[in-house]
Amino acid sequence: MTPGLDALSRRDLLRAGAGAALAAYGLAGCGIGHGIRGDVNRVIEPKVDGDLFYFNYSQYINPALVKEFEKRYDVRVIESYFDSMEGMLAKLRSGNAYDVMFPTAEYVQRLIQQEQVLRIPRDKLENLDNIYGYFNDPWYDPDSAHSVPYSLYITGIGYRADILGDLTGSWDDLANEEAAGRIYVLDDYQEALAAGNLRNGFEMNTVVESELNTTEEWLVGLKPLLRGFSVDTITTMSSGNAWIQHLWNGDIINIRYRVDDPDAYVFEKITQDGFPVGSDAFCIPVNSEHPGTALLFIDFMLDPKNAAKNVSWNGYPMPNHGQDETFQELAKGDPNIVVTVDDLEGGDQFANLPQDDRELWTNTFLEVKAS
Amino acid sequence: MLAPAGVWLLLLFAVPMGIVVLVSLGRTDPIFEAVYGWHPGNYADVFDPLFAPVLLRSVTYALATVALCLLIGYPIAYYIARFGGRWKTLLIAAVVLPFLVNYLVRTYAWVAILSDEGLANGILQDVGLAENGVRFINTSWAVIGGLVYGYLAFMILPLYAALDRMDPALIEAGKDLYGNRWQTFWHVTWPAAFQGVVAGCVLVFLPAVGDFISAQLLGGPDTYMVGNLIQQQFLEAQNWPFGAALTIVMMGFLLIWMLLYVRSATRASREASA
Repeated sequence: MTPGLDALSRRDLLRAGAGAALAAYGLAGCGIGHGIRGDVNRVIEPKVDGDLFYFNYSQYINPALVKEFEKRYDVRVIESYFDSMEGMLAKLRSGNAYDVMFPTAEYVQRLIQQEQVLRIPRDKLENLDNIYGYFNDPWYDPDSAHSVPYSLYITGIGYRADILGDLTGSWDDLANEEAAGRIYVLDDYQEALAAGNLRNGFEMNTVVESELNTTEEWLVGLKPLLRGFSVDTITTMSSGNAWIQHLWNGDIINIRYRVDDPDAYVFEKITQDGFPVGSDAFCIPVNSEHPGTALLFIDFMLDPKNAAKNVSWNGYPMPNHGQDETFQELAKGDPNIVVTVDDLEGGDQFANLPQDDRELWTNTFLEVKAS
Repeated sequence: MLAPAGVWLLLLFAVPMGIVVLVSLGRTDPIFEAVYGWHPGNYADVFDPLFAPVLLRSVTYALATVALCLLIGYPIAYYIARFGGRWKTLLIAAVVLPFLVNYLVRTYAWVAILSDEGLANGILQDVGLAENGVRFINTSWAVIGGLVYGYLAFMILPLYAALDRMDPALIEAGKDLYGNRWQTFWHVTWPAAFQGVVAGCVLVFLPAVGDFISAQLLGGPDTYMVGNLIQQQFLEAQNWPFGAALTIVMMGFLLIWMLLYVRSATRASREASA
């Protein structure tokens, strides 16, 4: 036998296995990475109580505004990033303490259910009146008690009008033969399945297995035409790799900032089949150590002048009347990127699916990717 | 004397791996939090036929990476060891220097180089070799290229160590015995430095098979690797127990290769001292 490994006998292995089984039994029901805990009803005031630990997608807020906030309140803003809602949850569950984060609507609902976000004292925010009335009592956060909306988005298709001309307004444009080998679908199970569900005439949030199987077949059928799955939509389009990219409305603004011929890059709203519409929001995690500074930051971003500055950099509309004119100007050449209250009220928003249904969705997408 | 190493291994390897094993036996509760338990069925799910092509692809890419790293790395290591002279240290430093940059950043650099309007296509079009450009990125070869770039140093360093240790007189002896260059290399150099080859192959194969960054950034719709699968389970699916079970099974598979290497190294060491 190999020296050093002689000591590892069958008995040792059996002991280790039994030890693992006992440990598993003893720990049964205990949470792994138990997440963050705290008093959701903690009373907080908008005042400087330390530096701000900010947790968001990267490049989703105007850095000039961050600097302005730092200067105005003499605090530092320490930025951390996630690249998906699931990644955000994973980092939260590890016990990291952030002061402000930006979950999407269904994740706000989930965080409220898990008691992981603080109640926001709405009466203490000076600029809340600028927010669209729709968000006074949104479906995901009754009475808007735990969140303040940040931005709006719709999912559609970005494409090279200079090469492809006009498209049809349907999710079938992701199967455009002329662009074969230069098409990307979002590497996001919700968005990919939503496109398929809507294209096939199903409810966007369907959990009917036969319908999801049909969507899966459609996505697998797309694969020979695809160049890849990617959420790095700005890079794929601005680098010339993509002629058609499944993407969010604000990204087309960012793409146009980076290319020589901005008018060639167009956003298509999928009016024929329907499209996902959504929002994300400011939330304060229940274990925030500086919630006062977080409230000041939220109020600062709600200021109409700052909202206008943010959208002109970000490209995503905010549900804030202060930015309406600025965003209309930005969207002048491309009204498809505007998100209206009608879109929110009548459109398809992602639901906070229960665990079994979510597993069905993620397994369906896994089968698409692995096949 | 072994205590510090033992404590290190315990705290930074045994304990974390133990936690991963325990997680792999858990389940996800209705609010998507992972809890400990006794659910060995997670391991049965690992052997779903759906994942067989993913595993096969990962092994194929890793083997291709090893082969290319060996083809590229051996001449580099040989040159530095045999002809580097007083520049040896500097040359080895030059090999290692890019690795001070984060792997993700280096892979992103390749995205910029290999894109349709990137540096590579720009040069090809300027010199008239490819008027419409070449599709480099989002292909299996881009993934393998990214893996080769990412792990080449892990091949060069052990090869260099083995070749540098080799007595140059052995090569002279080979030539004295009327061996030509190729015969001397095959019958003298290759066997003498073979442990370096094995070490390099193992050090490249192990991380390459579990890599996910190259496939994610450089790959296409059909380049899904087992590393992407594990990442998807932990992040997107929030299914930590299944992700942990996949990790343990993959580690078990890789452990076999590791043990073969240890056995080979021990045998070689015994033969050398005999």
